[in-house]
Amino acid sequence: MPNNTVHDQPDAAERAFIDQAIAKRSGSPGALLGILEDVQEHHPKRYLTASTLRYIGAKTNIPLSQIYSVATFYALFNLEPQGDHTVCICRGTACHTRGSRNLLESLKLELGLEENGDGSDADKVSFTTKDGKFTVRTVACFGQCALAPVVEIDHRISGHVNERTLQREVNVLEKEEAD
Amino acid sequence: MPRIQDIGTFNEVRESGMAKLVPPVPRIGIGMGTCGRGNGAEGVYHGFAEAIDRTGAEVVLANLGCFGCCSEEPIVNIRVPGRPLILLHQVQADDCKRILTDITTGKLTPDRVYCKIEEWDHITTHIRYGPGYPEIPHWHEVPFFKGQKKIVLRNCGFINPDDIEEYIAVGGYQALYKVLIDNRPEMVIEQIKASKLRGRGGAGYLTGNKWEFMARAKAEQKYVICNADEGDPGAYMNRNEIESDPHSLLEGMIIGGYVMGATQGIVYVRAEYPLAVHRLTRAVEQAREYGMLGQDILGRGFSFDIQIVEGAGAFVCGEETALIASLEGYAGRPRPRPPFPAQKGLWGMPTNINNVETWYNVAPIVMKGPAWFTETGSPKSAGTKVFSLVGKVHSTGLVELPLGTPLKTLVYDIGEGGVNGRSIKAVQSGGPSGGCIPQEMFDTPVDYESLAQLGAIMGSGGMVVMDEDNCMVDVSRFFLEFTHSESCGKCVPCRVGLNKALRILNAFTEGNATSQHLEVLDELGRMIRDCSLCGLGQSAPNPVLTTMRHFRHEFEDHILAHRCRAGVCQELALSPCENSCPLHMNIPRFLQLYKEGRLEEAFESVIMDNPLPASTGRVCQHPCDNRCRRQSIDEAVNMRDVHRFIADSVLLSDKYEDAVARIVARRMEPTGRKIAIAGAGPTGLTCAFYMAMLGHSVTIIESQPAPGGMLRYALPEYRLPKTVLDREIGLIEKLGVQFAYNQRVGFDVPLNELDDNYDAVFIAIGTWKESWLYLAGTELKGVYPALNFLEMVAKGESVKLGKRVAVIGGGNAAIDSARTAMRMGAEVNIIYRRERKDMPAIEEETEAARQEGARFSFLAAPHRIIGGPDGSVKAIEVVKTRLGEYDSSGRRKPVLTDEIQRFDCDAVVLAVGEVLDLDFARASGLQIKESGTIDYDRFSLETSRPRFYAGGDAISGASNVSNAMGYGKKAARIMDERLMGVQRWHDVFPSFEYDRTVPHETSQCRRHAGHHIPVSIRMRAADSIFPEVVDGLTPLEATEEANRCLRCDVKTVGAH
Repeated sequence: MPNNTVHDQPDAAERAFIDQAIAKRSGSPGALLGILEDVQEHHPKRYLTASTLRYIGAKTNIPLSQIYSVATFYALFNLEPQGDHTVCICRGTACHTRGSRNLLESLKLELGLEENGDGSDADKVSFTTKDGKFTVRTVACFGQCALAPVVEIDHRISGHVNERTLQREVNVLEKEEAD
Repeated sequence: MPRIQDIGTFNEVRESGMAKLVPPVPRIGIGMGTCGRGNGAEGVYHGFAEAIDRTGAEVVLANLGCFGCCSEEPIVNIRVPGRPLILLHQVQADDCKRILTDITTGKLTPDRVYCKIEEWDHITTHIRYGPGYPEIPHWHEVPFFKGQKKIVLRNCGFINPDDIEEYIAVGGYQALYKVLIDNRPEMVIEQIKASKLRGRGGAGYLTGNKWEFMARAKAEQKYVICNADEGDPGAYMNRNEIESDPHSLLEGMIIGGYVMGATQGIVYVRAEYPLAVHRLTRAVEQAREYGMLGQDILGRGFSFDIQIVEGAGAFVCGEETALIASLEGYAGRPRPRPPFPAQKGLWGMPTNINNVETWYNVAPIVMKGPAWFTETGSPKSAGTKVFSLVGKVHSTGLVELPLGTPLKTLVYDIGEGGVNGRSIKAVQSGGPSGGCIPQEMFDTPVDYESLAQLGAIMGSGGMVVMDEDNCMVDVSRFFLEFTHSESCGKCVPCRVGLNKALRILNAFTEGNATSQHLEVLDELGRMIRDCSLCGLGQSAPNPVLTTMRHFRHEFEDHILAHRCRAGVCQELALSPCENSCPLHMNIPRFLQLYKEGRLEEAFESVIMDNPLPASTGRVCQHPCDNRCRRQSIDEAVNMRDVHRFIADSVLLSDKYEDAVARIVARRMEPTGRKIAIAGAGPTGLTCAFYMAMLGHSVTIIESQPAPGGMLRYALPEYRLPKTVLDREIGLIEKLGVQFAYNQRVGFDVPLNELDDNYDAVFIAIGTWKESWLYLAGTELKGVYPALNFLEMVAKGESVKLGKRVAVIGGGNAAIDSARTAMRMGAEVNIIYRRERKDMPAIEEETEAARQEGARFSFLAAPHRIIGGPDGSVKAIEVVKTRLGEYDSSGRRKPVLTDEIQRFDCDAVVLAVGEVLDLDFARASGLQIKESGTIDYDRFSLETSRPRFYAGGDAISGASNVSNAMGYGKKAARIMDERLMGVQRWHDVFPSFEYDRTVPHETSQCRRHAGHHIPVSIRMRAADSIFPEVVDGLTPLEATEEANRCLRCDVKTVGAH
């Protein structure tokens, strides 16, 4: 858990949004997942801050340990700020057999994302560039196997991707950023 | 719309739905599932909307689900009243205008037409669209749909998933109505039990029993849950089912809720499926609006509601107790059972969980009865199953088949085999919990029991096809990496065991594993399987255990030869091209050196990797092309032609002497060891080159009067000029290799003599004997085995062919014979029992033969050769064949028919396959395998006799030049290491400094290839020598070609 010494609170607008999400979902099955999903999606950097988690705990009477456990257990939740653009590479079986690892590796090369090299982050599914422009993630499977290999760029699915088309798409986004 | 409370209103809604589904005007339906959208269906929809708007045509536009053939998307279905439903495939936005004009003018342009449907059985209703269009195939005549039976997918691709009325029109919610009116829940449970419906999520537990268990539980509140957390990578049928027909799911759940006494339903669906979530949400809203959900459903007093919960990306939540924990607001960790969810489930209340597809079977069983359901499928596995057929297969998509259908029907008949002619190696069934089934076992019927016997499971129905480019060790590592990262961490066997197993598999893929690792992995896998808490851990070792069982040789290759044949395990290969090259040439290096303008060094790099570079540059089968990563962009880099260019630029120029001197100077100090090599073909010459470079004294014993083997005596002059070959062999002679010609090992030179006089012996003889097929008339004058024929021509002996020649066979020897015969003035007919695409010959050669005038008779097998009174050939009779079942090579087996054809001819050349001379085999005293080749150790190349090694065609059977040379090179490395007791191999090779960065810009240049000279010039001999057909690249072309390389050998970051 990120240890913020100052126990700050989310701002008023954020609090109002969280209150609303809690009111909408409380008591029904899957409520906590829903609340966290709503709140994360609402954040401009699409992640859950420590103060947000603390606030949700206080409001729902769910122990912070349980909230943290949930937020770290599910792949969908981010505890780190996400890049302006997200490129999500499917690592499902069909995509794997059709070369998605090469896509992932060439994209990491292209964006200068380096692993620690000690294998400690072998399970890591999300990398963000230092300038905060791009996040490269993987997903277990998009269920788009017939279009393998599949890449999702800012929530838009592309099928039959190759290194060149992926590079081109990323270059377009880079250019947009620069303009 | 008021809530439906009586049958009258229900029927009104049904009619209103039918009017939308089968309107009095034409209707255009667009497949708008995620697959369709991914292929541009939205653009097509807008294209039609605009065109309709502009023309004011009276046509209804509808948004539909997916019909299952994902590789043909976007699919558009068109119905003109009274005529069949027409399916168009791969429709693009700019087709819309034309298609609309066709509809309004009553025409049908055939180019996008896929198939037609005259009537459709929705199970709960039957729709007749009408007859017509005799020229268009019925849907079930299209290979992809042959044998499919759509029960679960009965409505997918026909109805608008966003409109409950269309669902009601095809008989939807009738089953629910019936159940509520009958008011006998126990009868429904009996029906489900009698239907033998089994859970479609993977485990295959009997649904009826589960329901009965739950119905008996007494509690204030009970829950039914649909598990739509389809996390199994490679399976996506649930997504499509929900996207295309969400109400079938709701109906199944409402019936389930009613008969089990639950009032609350929950669909737990993956957040990664936004469209499915969207359509399901819409369906629930509509169902509430129309009175199918909420209070007093259909006016029958039953209350039930459904809530949708989005999962958050955890595979383990597919396990029912983990799913419940997740709904309760915890991390999705399973707990031990019992208590089962039917006793204590969500918030301690009885809960029933079924997979999406299970729910889809409920309404049909209720309407048609269990006896109807058990008619389909196998005795223990009733009904159908939807499979997602994906991976390395031609046609991909969702396939619904009766359980018990053989796997090969799925892969070869429906999927139409491999992609780009690659051969299929295995099918992975059941995702991370399942296993790999090897191609030899594709006769297996797909049902719960048969798959379990092979160590695989049905799972959710993902069928991922793997071909020769997939490494099975990598595949098992891939799954283990997945389950390892998805392990919830609760129990030790899974959490720690999978981690250890993954480390071991990493050792395999990185080339650091030992034989002991195989044993440990096996033991560990069994331990994890037997001791884990939930299904995830219990099944996680399956992919590894099954691949170790069925693909053990691949594991052994990784350990003992440090080889990944598929070229996937990057640590074991420099690059995909290097890995695929039998000689393991450092291809990126010579391309780069040449690109840098360093021709001499590029040549040195080439010749040290491959001592016959100009010959192989002409005749190699270039397996590197098939593996080149550039194919994903346009076409493979033409490595062979650049390699030929570099070799020719030095060997055939005044740079030759200098280059040779430099190589000779690299020769190591004499070791005093004596090596004998039997056979001066490519295998023997290669071995001799390296052994000489390593300082050994080498003697080659050759039965022919000159060196080169097949290169000299089988390959025609027009493919490989002998002057080129002589220059190359000249270098090997200059290294001090001794040649003893006109002597046969085992006859003129006994093996014992070799044993006494040499430190090691390498048997590298070729397969010169034609495997004489049993055929009446082979004794006639004018019948030649292909290699004898080519040899006689090469030696300048006179061969009387006559005017018309029949060549039997489809390999390189057949094509070489045919082209040689044409150069001798004959007309040639090549007779082959399969189709052109099945021919093993190099495609360019076959094409060249066609251009030069060869005729082909495909699907024809020789029947008998007919002779004249003088005992010479007069004609050949062939039996027409048709293609039958798929054989183990993944090609369809030719089956003889009754139709016989006769071709008049003066000579017959037989090229049906070459084998080792068995006289030699017997004389040698070496152990011979049943296949007629010399028995040897796969890793050391040792024969049954100590110090005797073998390589090339003698051990592999007839193959090709580069494969043969690969054995020669490998044998040299092993023999040297054995003789000297130390590893000196790498000392022979020079090192080069060259740019090791990826080019910043990918070259946009297209592939260059050597130029074929015009046919008129080709066929004209000068001094009885026919000119070489293929010219090399120009220097500019060679540079451009080298520039196209993507530099897969560069693997580090910062390479800009």
